[in-house]
Amino acid sequence: MLKPVVLPKNAFKLFFQSLKGLGTVYAPVKVSEKSYSFKEVHSPEEIAFEALRTILPPKKFFYPQEETLIRYKNGDFEEVQPEKKFQVIFGVHPCDLASLGILDTIFSSEPADSHYLKRREQSLLVGLSCMPDKHCFCNAMNADTAGSAYDLFLTDTGEEYFIEIRSAKGVELIKSLAEKVSDANPENHEAYKEFWKKREAAFSHGLETENLRSLLDLEWENQIWDEMGKRCLSCGNCTPVCPTCYCFDLVDIAGLNAKEGERVRQWDSCQFVGFAQVNGDFNFRATPADRLKFWYRHKLHGFDDAYGFKTCVGCGRCTESCPAGIDDIVQVVKILQGKKENKHYEP
Amino acid sequence: MNLKSPFLPQKSVIRSVVPMTHDNYLFEFRDSVGHFASCKPGQFVELWVPGVGEAPISVCSGSIDGNLQLLIRKVGRVTSALFDMQEGDWVGLRGPYGQGFPVEKYKGKDVCMVAGGLGVAPMRSLWQYILDHREDYGNLILIYGMRHSIDLLFRAEFKQLLRRHDIDVFIAAEEIVGPDLPPMSVQLGRVTDMVRLSAVDAGYEVAICGPPVMYKYVVQELEKKSVPDSRIWLSLERHMKCGIGKCGHCFIGGEFTCKEGPVFQLSELRMLPEVIECEGGAH
Repeated sequence: MLKPVVLPKNAFKLFFQSLKGLGTVYAPVKVSEKSYSFKEVHSPEEIAFEALRTILPPKKFFYPQEETLIRYKNGDFEEVQPEKKFQVIFGVHPCDLASLGILDTIFSSEPADSHYLKRREQSLLVGLSCMPDKHCFCNAMNADTAGSAYDLFLTDTGEEYFIEIRSAKGVELIKSLAEKVSDANPENHEAYKEFWKKREAAFSHGLETENLRSLLDLEWENQIWDEMGKRCLSCGNCTPVCPTCYCFDLVDIAGLNAKEGERVRQWDSCQFVGFAQVNGDFNFRATPADRLKFWYRHKLHGFDDAYGFKTCVGCGRCTESCPAGIDDIVQVVKILQGKKENKHYEP
Repeated sequence: MNLKSPFLPQKSVIRSVVPMTHDNYLFEFRDSVGHFASCKPGQFVELWVPGVGEAPISVCSGSIDGNLQLLIRKVGRVTSALFDMQEGDWVGLRGPYGQGFPVEKYKGKDVCMVAGGLGVAPMRSLWQYILDHREDYGNLILIYGMRHSIDLLFRAEFKQLLRRHDIDVFIAAEEIVGPDLPPMSVQLGRVTDMVRLSAVDAGYEVAICGPPVMYKYVVQELEKKSVPDSRIWLSLERHMKCGIGKCGHCFIGGEFTCKEGPVFQLSELRMLPEVIECEGGAH
């Protein structure tokens, strides 16, 4: 592995050109007063470096909202391959990198998901450091450092970027910039450490997570679920914005002549009423409260058994995007822990 | 990367269609490449009707020898489309998926099989397998309950089973409707009544498959008979949309029903929420 290097900010344009040389570059772009979205960018000026969380997480590049898996025609069918296209995702924060690491594990577990993995293979992830706001709790979920899913990770140390290199693709790219980057010196290392110390101190949530596993089991009948259920709209907003939610439906979309059509995968949500419904109209999660607590359990405990990790990375998107204003994981967990009083649940 | 999509099915031609009741047909599919030869009792496949969709269907015969039998009830879009198809038409099949009934663990033991309604289809794969290997197993009890006697499936096969001396067969219907062909001895009652009547005791391994509402009551009866949780095996009904532990629809507690199940040991399930309790249904 290459030693970390330093790129002066005034050379970022060249760095960006190298990224563009690899394929289509996507980065956070400001799309309204308060929101950001990963979009294709053609120049560094378009990038919103200040963006904290985008509306949708970067999973959309590897696991699109809708994709065709199989096409059938005239009594036969064939697999549809994902488009051959190299994607560079710039500005991915630690929580989102952690989430991609989680999705990598899930989609590569047997039988592996060829569509996701092919898209991941044709990609380069460039991470970028960030400063938490009041909804961030990635540090409580062990998702506050670069993790394993990146190729390059940029820490903003003021005048320059301190770049960690993790993959062969990352090494190649840095080599092509040899004239502009320099090996990180002790001073750069100091600035790097300084930044991460400052960042650690900036978290304000005060969430403790060591007992989540038993907490979610023991508090399964806590009245907070019913109180939240009464206000939950079952809109399902919390799931597409979640960087690790990946549940899907498989549907056939037939052509007008019914002789040809496609088998399509679409994002689904466990918050929709029919998600756990089976034949005979039996529903294992019939009420919004049932579905909400299922989702909480799944995020904070659910994959401990199946994969050995939790699937919440503390990005705060669900809290920010909940139209009912109830989906505040930090506050809910504190109430379950008895560290905060539940006065008819008001986060 | 040369990975193939796990969602690609195997093209399978319908070999025969045998109506069992007006809305339950037994379909036989040609398995020319032996794709399903390794099927175990209690496993399931994903059946695809192009242009309509996929549905998870339990394997319903004890051994697959060139042909795969699936008992299908016309309930949804996929099954309705299938009922419009005929011999020679093709569908897509993926699988087999899941862990079936632990027939190896049952070896040398007494086995009680409890089926309710359409649960008789997966249960058929188990009793056929066990009867094919009869000498490996002890006493056998087979309980089959349904709402109306006219819905009785595998009538001819049950006639044969009732004549055997090496398996105790109990058939119950909540209502006797339509022809009760002698010598079919259909009793008035529910599966739970039959469990009570049967000789099942703490020494039996009990396999259960039926509509979701049934489990709670059957388990209560078995508790009265002192059957321990570790000997009760439930085939859980969930909508396994992908069959490979990805889509999330069948996730309960910490496990994917399609991968770890659909057959679970009750002692494993006791710690998990939302396994047996459900709402709705036609009851």
